Amino acid sequence: MGLIHVEIRLAGFDPWQELAQWSGHEAAAAVFVGRVRSTAMDGRPLQALELEHYPGLCERQITRMAVQLQQEYGAGAILVLHRVGRLVPGEPVVLVAVQADRRGAAQRCSAALLEQLKHHAPFWKREWCADQGIWLEENTPL
Amino acid sequence: MLQVLLFASLRERAGWSERALSWSSDYATPRAVWNLLKLGSLQGISIAVNQELVDADQPLQAGDELAFLPPFTGG
Repeated sequence: MGLIHVEIRLAGFDPWQELAQWSGHEAAAAVFVGRVRSTAMDGRPLQALELEHYPGLCERQITRMAVQLQQEYGAGAILVLHRVGRLVPGEPVVLVAVQADRRGAAQRCSAALLEQLKHHAPFWKREWCADQGIWLEENTPL
Repeated sequence: MLQVLLFASLRERAGWSERALSWSSDYATPRAVWNLLKLGSLQGISIAVNQELVDADQPLQAGDELAFLPPFTGG
């Protein structure tokens, strides 16, 4: 089993730079990068996206999911970086990367981990439009 | 003492983020504490005790950290 690295970041990050420094030598790697949209859920131009988390529980929940899915899919190294704080459109929110010996395991494990993270890790988003903030009540559809 | 934490929309609805309640047998479960806080329906709210997700009827003990969490929207 490869290393699992989970980190919540207060400062912005460049996913490609992070990946360049990520260790692991498996044959396949699947990468997902999520960025802030330029429009809010209601279609208005988005000024900023604020992200909050429950420190401690959040990191543990994601690590637990990663351990379980790594075993289930026979995957190797897993990297999860997630931003919190105030982000502007275009900024990276999340990076999920999974290595495995085969593409199927890497891709399926990466997709499953992202979905679990979206629904079972304590993060909250607030959209800011025209200086007004609205907490989102649900995630975007797949 | 029971430490109660609220996050995101719940914190703003209540107007506070953290409260230390003197321990009382009225705080037997997260559901009982929630009902005393009068913050609306518990539907869709997740609960963590000492940073573990638990059921609303899990027994509480003095010294616990109890958090009420609105629906998660990360990723």
